[in-house]
Amino acid sequence: MTRPDEDGWQRLDARMLLIGPLDTLRQFAVPVVIALVGISSSRGTFDPGLLLIMLAVPVVLGLLPWLTTRYRITDTQFQQRRGLLSRQQLTAPLDRVRSVDLESSLLQRALGLAKVKIGTGVDETRIELNALSLAQAEELRRFLLARGAAAVPAPPPVVWTQSTDNQASDVPFRNNRQPPPDDPPAVLARIDWSWLRFAPFSLGRLAIVAGAVGVLAQWGEDLPFLDAEHIDAAWRWVTGFALVLVVLATLVVALLAWLVISVVGYVVQWWDLRLTREHGTIRLAAGLLTTRSTSVEEARVRGVELVEPVLLRTVNGAELSTLATGVGEGGVTKVLPPCPREVCQEVGQAILGAPRPLVAALVPHGPAARRRAHVRAQRPAVVVTLGLLAATGFAGWPWWPPVVAALVLVPGGAAAGEVAYRNLGHLLTPAHLTSGDPAVQRRRQVLERDGVIGWVIGQSLFQRRRGLATLTATTAAGKERVAVRDLPLEQAVRLAALVTPGAVVPFLADP
Amino acid sequence: MSGETSAGLPEVDVPAADRAALREPAHQVDPRAVSLWRTTALVEAAFVSGLAGVGYALLPERPWWATLALALLVAAALARAVVMPVVRFRIHRWEVTGTAVFTRSGWLSREQRIAPLSRVQTVDSHQGPIMRLYHLATITVTTASAAGPVRIDCLDEALARRVVADLTEITGATEGDAT
Repeated sequence: MTRPDEDGWQRLDARMLLIGPLDTLRQFAVPVVIALVGISSSRGTFDPGLLLIMLAVPVVLGLLPWLTTRYRITDTQFQQRRGLLSRQQLTAPLDRVRSVDLESSLLQRALGLAKVKIGTGVDETRIELNALSLAQAEELRRFLLARGAAAVPAPPPVVWTQSTDNQASDVPFRNNRQPPPDDPPAVLARIDWSWLRFAPFSLGRLAIVAGAVGVLAQWGEDLPFLDAEHIDAAWRWVTGFALVLVVLATLVVALLAWLVISVVGYVVQWWDLRLTREHGTIRLAAGLLTTRSTSVEEARVRGVELVEPVLLRTVNGAELSTLATGVGEGGVTKVLPPCPREVCQEVGQAILGAPRPLVAALVPHGPAARRRAHVRAQRPAVVVTLGLLAATGFAGWPWWPPVVAALVLVPGGAAAGEVAYRNLGHLLTPAHLTSGDPAVQRRRQVLERDGVIGWVIGQSLFQRRRGLATLTATTAAGKERVAVRDLPLEQAVRLAALVTPGAVVPFLADP
Repeated sequence: MSGETSAGLPEVDVPAADRAALREPAHQVDPRAVSLWRTTALVEAAFVSGLAGVGYALLPERPWWATLALALLVAAALARAVVMPVVRFRIHRWEVTGTAVFTRSGWLSREQRIAPLSRVQTVDSHQGPIMRLYHLATITVTTASAAGPVRIDCLDEALARRVVADLTEITGATEGDAT
């Protein structure tokens, strides 16, 4: 490691001198090749000097971050200086550090490096150190989180040891205070490869695949054999076989491809998953190629979210996320891969420190809410049927499409409405407010009562007619709101008053 | 965190089931708000009707239902300008106590917002060009949640300045990062 100078400023790890240029070279590869090909073909000759210059520029650019970035820790702050022309100094008060993430790409792992991201609870900007040695990054993580958790109002001064002996060089954050208590981390969850069976039922990755297919399709338009004539010929060739067979084969291939993609994606993302609790922080580490580790101060984790998407629910699977403040990126962090619901519930209970919010039955919202869920679920049926009726009436379509649509969609809507209503509900336990969404996908959000900032009681025109309201607890954690929908108005007010009596009771009407 | 925010608040009885309704916030907004809302509604009505009128004029032929749709649109925009400000003035109310901000707003859909002062982060006031004509100002109180800003619409300028000063003083005394 590099040694701090007399003011305590130190550089990133010297091995970044290797990786930085490689990274920028990779970024510049496409434009450089295009430029080279373009220039060479216009001149008719290939100029090796040009190649050298074009390689030298990215290499120098890649060296810059290491040359210009320095960081240090003072009594109260973490400070980073960076920039060549416009110099910038970023600071984070030590007692405001809420999360520290480590991330190593494959290349960085080979060299034993890790990128460190430091998040404070107050604003969204995060300080990035790209990169430190793994040991140093780990030490920094523990030091910062221990300081953040302690949040001592008047900390004893930190003294930089300017020791000359070599033993000290591997411990960058020496000071005269006690090290944090070294109790062993408690493991909350570890990957269990029998969970792989849930991978194909989780459609989150499908969006990425669809995006890739879209890009390929655009690209495919430029292929010489994809014109109307060829497609027509191909189509005739295909219909020459049994069309059904072709469709079936396509389906089977698509399904197999999906199986492979989803399983591979699952393995790459969740390899060696460990969810642990140590020194008052919750730490998630996983990844096959790029390893990531996210540590959040436990006091910042204000709740959890248990989601059972429709497909995953058919096989009793679920996903668990934490709702936290000061971690950036929306504050919702997936802490478990798609896995059995019981596992999600157990881990969630351990994180919350409360047994009931994730397993107990929710309080239903009554007949008015049920009617509303059904009315909402019938909307597609009404729209489609009316549209088809109009087509029959004005455009001379046959009589049967609206009838068939109604016969299929109305029962379907009724089923969806009933499922949505069953998922709707709320629950108030000693320390938590729990809410279930009125939707076919089952989602349960659990928020600490102390995490509730204020309230919004909203009533749309239709809710007013039925005496219902949507009670939104505003919070700094997660998506910054937890809504309890379609609750009878007086129950909504009561719930708000029970959770935060100090803020609500003064505004209650006299009996 | 919890210690910081609930400390100092009085212990309050949990309300019984028959008391579970919010009362009205104490104050109405300034009566000039009705004129302000009517002016903006009329401007919007003129804009929408104008757009629709141009579209109508450009039609190659004018069937009866297009004429009807245009008439209905103009009538609805005008009716809104007549009814909305009056209803809105009855609904919009606000109150600031030593511990919380409480507002009610809306006309067709309604909203009541409560934010405890111990969690307030910023207090802003805002005056649009038309609001300046009427000497009105809007106060926005934000908390650490993006879902939680509380807006008090259309206060008299001088009153708004006083309220902002008071709020700033109260919230400035609170410690912690209010998350």
